[in-house]
Amino acid sequence: MLRACASSHAAATSKRFSWKSLTAYEAEDGLTFSTDPLKWGVFRTKGIFARHEAVLLLVIAVELVLFQVLGRNFLTGGNVSNVFRHSVEIGLLALAMTPVILTGGIDLSVGSLMGLCAVLFGMMVKMLGLDPWVAGCLAVLCGAMGGAVNAGLVAGLKLPPLIVTLGTFSLFRGLAEAFTKGSESYSGFSEEFLALGNSDLAGVPTQVWILVAVGLGIWFLVHRTTYGRSLRAIGFAEEGARYAGLPVGRNLSLAYISAGAVAGLAAVILVARLGEARANAGIGYELLAITAVVLGGVSIFGGSGNVSGTVLGWISLAILNNGLTRISGYEILGEKVSSVARELSGLLTGLLLLSALALAASTKTLALRRARKQSTPDPQSP
Amino acid sequence: MTRKTFLLSAALLATLPFVSCKKSEDAGKLSVGFLLKSKGNQYFVTCEQGARAAAEELDIDLRVDGPISADPAKQNEIVENWITDGLDVIVAACENKDSLSTALRKAQDAGIKVITYDADAQPDARSFFSNQATAQGIGEKLIDTSASLTDGSGEFAIITGTLTSANLNEWIAAIKVRQAEKYPGMKLVDIRPCDDNKDKAQQEATNLLSAHPNLKAIVAVCSPGVPGAAEAVKQAGKTGAVKVVGLGLPSENRAYVKEGVTQAIILWNPEDLGYLAVHAGVALAKGNLTGGSESFKAGKLGNLEIEGDSIILGTPFTFTKENIDNFDF
Repeated sequence: MLRACASSHAAATSKRFSWKSLTAYEAEDGLTFSTDPLKWGVFRTKGIFARHEAVLLLVIAVELVLFQVLGRNFLTGGNVSNVFRHSVEIGLLALAMTPVILTGGIDLSVGSLMGLCAVLFGMMVKMLGLDPWVAGCLAVLCGAMGGAVNAGLVAGLKLPPLIVTLGTFSLFRGLAEAFTKGSESYSGFSEEFLALGNSDLAGVPTQVWILVAVGLGIWFLVHRTTYGRSLRAIGFAEEGARYAGLPVGRNLSLAYISAGAVAGLAAVILVARLGEARANAGIGYELLAITAVVLGGVSIFGGSGNVSGTVLGWISLAILNNGLTRISGYEILGEKVSSVARELSGLLTGLLLLSALALAASTKTLALRRARKQSTPDPQSP
Repeated sequence: MTRKTFLLSAALLATLPFVSCKKSEDAGKLSVGFLLKSKGNQYFVTCEQGARAAAEELDIDLRVDGPISADPAKQNEIVENWITDGLDVIVAACENKDSLSTALRKAQDAGIKVITYDADAQPDARSFFSNQATAQGIGEKLIDTSASLTDGSGEFAIITGTLTSANLNEWIAAIKVRQAEKYPGMKLVDIRPCDDNKDKAQQEATNLLSAHPNLKAIVAVCSPGVPGAAEAVKQAGKTGAVKVVGLGLPSENRAYVKEGVTQAIILWNPEDLGYLAVHAGVALAKGNLTGGSESFKAGKLGNLEIEGDSIILGTPFTFTKENIDNFDF
């Protein structure tokens, strides 16, 4: 695998995108691409990731049926649009987290960075009087700068990402709270800006289009460029990647900086949805994003996983969270329980993650065992 | 394996069109959503009890929900889900005033009637605010209670949160006005801040007790101040000689009230607040409560005054040794 990366990198230095080497690499990764459209997608694949995505599809199907039976107004236009509108921010973070985790790293600071960017955005609009769209772009830039702090410490000083981002996790939230003295907030944004978070475009919540664009961009980077392949190589064996001549520091930095920029973008979208910028924006979102990525089958040790897995992981989480709120009005032991389901959210998220991972791992073990049985010769035969 | 999983998913999805059998909805009933600031807060759980009592009386379909986590977006999501469900009325306590106002305006645009309680939204995001108590109501109740305990004479001191806190200062101003008017025999000797910290309050109260040996009462206007002052009085051996009155949660003061150190805890009854808010919501939906109304009849609470667009719950409730065990917030 490493050799594949190294050679593909060598190929890429002379020619930016070498589709041939790409296909060869992807085949090794368990995914084959066919020219036959019927064979496209995740179903005609082999290997653990493909199986993992099938498991996630099953999970999503089960969720849909379950909530449609138990909940009220679950599969209605308005609610389906709520499912996506309310989870775009976590989806964005999960997408941006995928390259980071592919390198074997982690970014715990994105939720806090959202809080900081939200506050900075609010200050730029309300105190400096900037146009919200200009301020929005600047907030994304601030996010990238926050990401650059992580990048400098992780790639430059080679500190462990878990510890670096644990530090910035407190630092960014602390800055946001210090700027606002913990309680000040900014509101009263223009209707045009609020529309970003509250209106529909072509029947789909406006911010979902941004998510789609970011998702396609990250998918392209991860699966169609030498940069994406180098991320996996770094996650697989960082030192090896270095010896193979990959620009490890630069590529690691890019992963953290883009995660920061996307956190800034998520903050702007959240502010547009809520109409208020406050230091407590995005609390706990980093863990939900990591859950979505890991649920999507990306290895927490780095080196393997793909963006479609992250997307499916995110969708299954989003459906779970919304679906639980649709279950209400049941009577338990004669007492009317209005929404006991919300309390189960944490429990079920944990169960979902563990059972999906266990299911995927057990199918892998089964397949391996079967393969071994077929390949080992019968000891009885001469 | 993969194919089997995929086929299973497809089969499950194929059943979707047939499983949309709905639970029998409470057809024809008015549907009201009751939004809490937080589900883990006993104060709001008590509000919910009142809301349920009102729902029973009015025969409506009541849905209660609230966030568990500190995520500020959660309340908005609940309201947006309720908009999708097409509820008739939303009754909300706002954690983040401005952000929840965004969602409540959307609800109003969708034709849903909105009432707030406990913590108000922006005025344009709701029709009426069920106001638990006015500054005047709180201040007057505190000084009236102290006066009745000290026979309207003697020195008293106030323990506040911080000297800059806007609402606490309003209450103190109301106390001063009322005292000057009705209890000329009483004398306010000091106002000490406790930084919303029980230990600091105890320290300040100890200082007050030694600086003013003739002190008859300590009035605490912030909730940590009440148990702090009580502890100081108890340790100084002045239980009963120096009365302690304050604004706080019954649960934090139960032990002191039962020992007789603290004579009275002043707070509105959250159960009544929830009860009033739901009554107001239903009246609004039925057209019995409109802009310009001057009073409003809220079931067992009787006629309540409306000031502008807030319905006043009335005078705060007094928790004493006799009734404090009936409340668990």
